Amino acid sequence: MISRVADHCFWFGRYVERAESTARLLATTHSLALDAELEPAACWRPVVVVAGEEAACRARWGDDEATFADGERIEHALTWDEDTSVSIRRSVAAARWNARTIREVVSLEAWETTNELHLYLRGDAARADFADHRFDFYRRVRAGTQLTLGLLRSTMLHDEPLDFIWLGVMLERVSQTARILDVHHHAFTSGAGHHEVVATSLWLSLLRSLSGYEPFMKRHQGRVASMAVVRFLVGEERFPRSVAYCVRSAYERLCGIRPPTATELPGGQTLERLRVLDELVRAQRHELRDGEDVHELLTTVVDETHAICETLGKELLGHDRAA
Amino acid sequence: MSLFDGYQPLPGAFDEIVTADGPRPAFRRVLEQLDRMTTDELARHQQLAELALLNQGVTFSVYADNRGTEQIFPFCAVPRLVSAADFAHLERGLAQRLRALGAFLDDIYDGQRILAAGVIPADMVLGATTYRPTLRGVRPPGGVRIHIAGVDLIRDPEGTWRVLEDNLRTPSGVSYVIENRVISKRIFPRAFDRARVHRVDHYPTRLAETLRSVSPVAGDDVTAVVLTPGPYNSAYFEHSFLARTMGLELVQAPDLFVDGDIVYVRTTRGPRRVHVIYRRTDEDFLDPDAFRPDSVLGVRGLMRAYAAGNVALANAPGNGVADDKAVYPFVPDMIRFYLGEEPALAQVPTFVCARDDDRRYVLDHLPELVVKAVDEAGGYGMLMGPQASAAELSEFRTRVAAEPRRYIAQHRVELSTCPTWIGERRRLEPRRVDLRPYVLTSREGPWVLPGGLTRVALVEGSYVVNSSQGGGSKDTWVLKGDGP
Repeated sequence: MISRVADHCFWFGRYVERAESTARLLATTHSLALDAELEPAACWRPVVVVAGEEAACRARWGDDEATFADGERIEHALTWDEDTSVSIRRSVAAARWNARTIREVVSLEAWETTNELHLYLRGDAARADFADHRFDFYRRVRAGTQLTLGLLRSTMLHDEPLDFIWLGVMLERVSQTARILDVHHHAFTSGAGHHEVVATSLWLSLLRSLSGYEPFMKRHQGRVASMAVVRFLVGEERFPRSVAYCVRSAYERLCGIRPPTATELPGGQTLERLRVLDELVRAQRHELRDGEDVHELLTTVVDETHAICETLGKELLGHDRAA
Repeated sequence: MSLFDGYQPLPGAFDEIVTADGPRPAFRRVLEQLDRMTTDELARHQQLAELALLNQGVTFSVYADNRGTEQIFPFCAVPRLVSAADFAHLERGLAQRLRALGAFLDDIYDGQRILAAGVIPADMVLGATTYRPTLRGVRPPGGVRIHIAGVDLIRDPEGTWRVLEDNLRTPSGVSYVIENRVISKRIFPRAFDRARVHRVDHYPTRLAETLRSVSPVAGDDVTAVVLTPGPYNSAYFEHSFLARTMGLELVQAPDLFVDGDIVYVRTTRGPRRVHVIYRRTDEDFLDPDAFRPDSVLGVRGLMRAYAAGNVALANAPGNGVADDKAVYPFVPDMIRFYLGEEPALAQVPTFVCARDDDRRYVLDHLPELVVKAVDEAGGYGMLMGPQASAAELSEFRTRVAAEPRRYIAQHRVELSTCPTWIGERRRLEPRRVDLRPYVLTSREGPWVLPGGLTRVALVEGSYVVNSSQGGGSKDTWVLKGDGP
């Protein structure tokens, strides 16, 4: 397929996934912050850090804790701001723009769902829902993005374009999971020792923000311990948001696009880097002993995912195009 | 209230559907069905249809930049009807016209017999900015130049069909023909069934066949692509629609490159050869080497590959000289000259300001005339004499006197009308319409899509049907038979 079109597929997948992830994180944090036992900043600062907006928020609202204590303001910015690159509205607009550019590739059903969500977020109804029915608002955003992701798989040819979309979804997801886990793990384990009940509610909230609450319970039957949660989110290969699952799944998608044996085709470096990352995650997931191990592995995952996207752009998506 | 209750045709205009004495006989059967709907029902359908168009993204970009403002093309749910007899006449006339225009282009870019014979003054053609001297002697692959034409037709108060304009470069709008049909079938299923209407949804298949038929190489392994200027172009929806419904790749100029006079597309598996390009970019922007050097949209070397016969371009570059407004008055002469036939379709009598007698008449009768700049389109660069202010009249008088070659003039034709849904009054009112049928020409000759884009001037009293200036569209039902 055309490299530029592959690029749009890839970014379409990434933005849909990103919108879903941001909506989920905001909804769970909103819920967590309603528990009066926690300082608002303890709930909201990690969200801002995950979004990569810490510096921007400090510049905008002041360089002290109060900046992260106003959850309403943070939710508003991460939902609506046009100049916040990860805001829900911007992610959906970007997903929709990429899809519109490759309308001939995306299935009609998936396009319509994306377009409807975009139009909803541009209209008054979304503003009213956000103001009066916050959880319904997030639910609607998530339902829209999830519907798109589901329709892509059930209405498109399972072919190269879908492989590129899914590669985008998986690489976005692994980076979201790694960052959410890293930042929250750090926030929960550093600082004053929380009361056990509070600590448990934090870990449960983390699981919820990754749609992992019920899957985790199925594996652990109600026993919530910090390292168990971490190992689950990193290494549970049957949980579709774990680091291990996403990396393996991305690798398999890329194998479909560029088989390991097809050495005459471009894409070899990306494939090799993904293979090495997959091996690393699989080897280390059982070796995680403490916060330092966790932080080190997750940092590697985030950096390496970023590097893989760069290489992919050059090798397959036409970013390196000679004039 | 039923739909046609109290509908009053506009005095002085030809109403397509209803006369002062009731429905036209050929449409009586269909109209009975359409009229079963109440105005309330139609208002609801109309609203749902507009919402569906918006959600489906059947939109055009309002500005040619990245502001991303998109609008739906206003749509009237009540179809325009064309009788079988009328369409048979149009079909014959359009095919004849396209054969003559094709022959004219072949001639102009070769021996120029028609100029030597003095049928058309040579400077009318060779002096046109749309004439491309560099293309003289270049034979297009497959021998076809006007693969896709969209000919604008109007109907005068006597009901005579007249050609208003030949669009032989990159005519747009056919996607709306197909999308409008989807909607009108949904709204009027029974009427549609009873009416026995020609289908239009096979257009993309026919277009794909047409494109393949002109490939410079034989066999199944032909790669055809649709070339678009990109998502900010106002017709991007259509480019994407056609690529999607033909199953072809939609490319932008940077996706293509030329090596050794062969065109390639950059893919995730390396370069792949391209044989046919359905280009929806203006020819000025096709190749910076050949036309505008400042173009960032083009494919360097594309015209060399074309001249070498290695890639077919649809439509062929250089076609503009045949749909030039200054050449239009001579099309009937072309038909006689090349085909030895009398023109089947009438057109609008036209004054060519470059001719002394015509110019004098135009300057003396400006308030009665419609004056058009030959190099402008989309309803721009036009003077509507009867509605113009004194200042506008005097401005055009100066312009015509200064550059007569740039202007033609016509008496304003009282366009025919169609019953059209006016939302704010919740009733049907007559509004002026035109019709753009689409003609595909393959190696085997012309084929006319039995349907077309009916554009309607939604503003009361307006004659301008362009979407950029308050125009909308209707589905066009071409009937298979006119019997009861």
